[in-house]
Amino acid sequence: MDRIECQWCKAQNETGRTNCTTCGAPLDTKDLVTDSGWAEAPRLRDMTEFRFSSSTCQIEGEIVPVAEVALAHGDSVFFEHHVMLWKEPGVPMSALNTGGGMKRMLGGMPHILSVAHGPGRVAFSRDAAGEVVVLPLHPSMELDVREHAFLAGTHSLTYSFVRIKGLANVLHGGGGMYMDRFVTYQEPGLLLLHGYGNVFQKTLQPGEKIMVEPGGFLYKDSSVNMNAVKQNVKTGLMGGHSMYLAEMTGPGRVGIQSMYVHHGSE
Amino acid sequence: MSMPPAQGAYTCPYCRMASEGTDGACPHCGAPVDVRRRVSDSGWVEQPPIRDMARIRFSRSTCQISGTYVPVAEMGLHDDDWVYFSHHVLLHTDPRVRLGNLPMKGGWKRMRAGMPLIMMRAQGPGHIAFSADEPGETLAVPLHPGRAIDVVEHRFLVATGNVGYQWQNANVWFTTKDGDEQETHYPVGKTMDSFAASGGPGLLLLHGPGNIFIRDLAPGERILVQPGGLIWKDQTVRMFLHFEYPRGAYWFSSSKWQAKTVWLTLQGPGRIAVQSVFERPEMSGAVYQTSGATTQRW
Repeated sequence: MDRIECQWCKAQNETGRTNCTTCGAPLDTKDLVTDSGWAEAPRLRDMTEFRFSSSTCQIEGEIVPVAEVALAHGDSVFFEHHVMLWKEPGVPMSALNTGGGMKRMLGGMPHILSVAHGPGRVAFSRDAAGEVVVLPLHPSMELDVREHAFLAGTHSLTYSFVRIKGLANVLHGGGGMYMDRFVTYQEPGLLLLHGYGNVFQKTLQPGEKIMVEPGGFLYKDSSVNMNAVKQNVKTGLMGGHSMYLAEMTGPGRVGIQSMYVHHGSE
Repeated sequence: MSMPPAQGAYTCPYCRMASEGTDGACPHCGAPVDVRRRVSDSGWVEQPPIRDMARIRFSRSTCQISGTYVPVAEMGLHDDDWVYFSHHVLLHTDPRVRLGNLPMKGGWKRMRAGMPLIMMRAQGPGHIAFSADEPGETLAVPLHPGRAIDVVEHRFLVATGNVGYQWQNANVWFTTKDGDEQETHYPVGKTMDSFAASGGPGLLLLHGPGNIFIRDLAPGERILVQPGGLIWKDQTVRMFLHFEYPRGAYWFSSSKWQAKTVWLTLQGPGRIAVQSVFERPEMSGAVYQTSGATTQRW
């Protein structure tokens, strides 16, 4: 039987489908890739639905999209509590202790992640125009995400957070002190992010480099190395200024967002 | 305003440049060629958004626009071409692109006016991309030699190397007094940027929050716009403030203090462009000094 491969998540789909069952990406439109190789994250059609485990997720709206999750019994999702838009009263909630309380407080990250358990419906959204990025993670994958970009993750993902290495990265990287890390082991998982503006992804070959404005960084495979690189800029006024760019070195995927707060100059 | 001689079968209604019109988008400004011109009853022309992945050509380089909420302008620079930009709009670059700084005069004045101190240049070959920090549209303004336009501060995204850049005082201000408090307001910003091409056609990219509309004013024709809504104007267009005081039922609502409206009058001839997202000027206190202005009390 012929199958259609989703260009975004590589999942196989039955012929005749117009959206990927795993990530919701349209299957009947051409991929949009810039001349330099940045692929636009698929623009999910309003009311697109896709599946994970025994549950479904539906994306609603286009300017600030809402991810509505219909949880089956035995399934759960975790999230930062302030992204929850609404829930059915009967959806049980619990808390996931992230550990590292003081470190997370210093890093401006929430101590506790909320967990919603099926059965029932719960919906999430963030606070500015942008796109929901759906990232299905195959078993044995590690993905690093800038803090406060994470919308929700499924129960099969293991959550941790990693300190961004290097003082220059921390001070000038624009991504804060920590990144969220999501790992899959035996089972696949599904991660939903919110990118401000439009989201683009590039897959770097081993040793290939790209320079990214630190505020624009959204996610990367953990195999991608990130370093803050100083760029001197003389202004002729009080000696000059410096700006920092994040140098990403492959192999792996890098995701960026087109709307960001600039952190990179001093 | 002088126009370049027509060299193709198609003249873009938005940038007025000639081309073959066969690529689906104007190669000079990226406007789609196969859409009907949308004009409001009052004469505002809606600037059609540049389609995702449309290419604009300049010199031997290209500019590709991607995304729709906060579009990205990705330049594919040829060896001989360079662009300049304010450093905070840089999104990504490949390591081959040589980054440097563009000498700027008047650093202290720019700092006081809240303008970026640093203007950077990027020399090809390689790819480099830019984006703004709010939802809106990218506006490409091709400039043929001799054409100059004035742009409101913070709307500039990137320009090609042959586009000259200057800035000057906008000279649009008013002072309010509320008790002992005195404050000077600059509704279009303290300064305005001016861009002019020399030695060949140039390309200027701007970012307008919301949607963008353009209008050609006849000689002497006036229109009132919110000062924060202006994006750019031809240098032939005059601008000055206009204060309106609506009639009030009581002396304290007679609007001397609170209910006044601050407009920017734009007087032709020439083209203007406005954006649909803007901030209203602050209203507290009575106006007692202004740059050149007119007043209407209803």
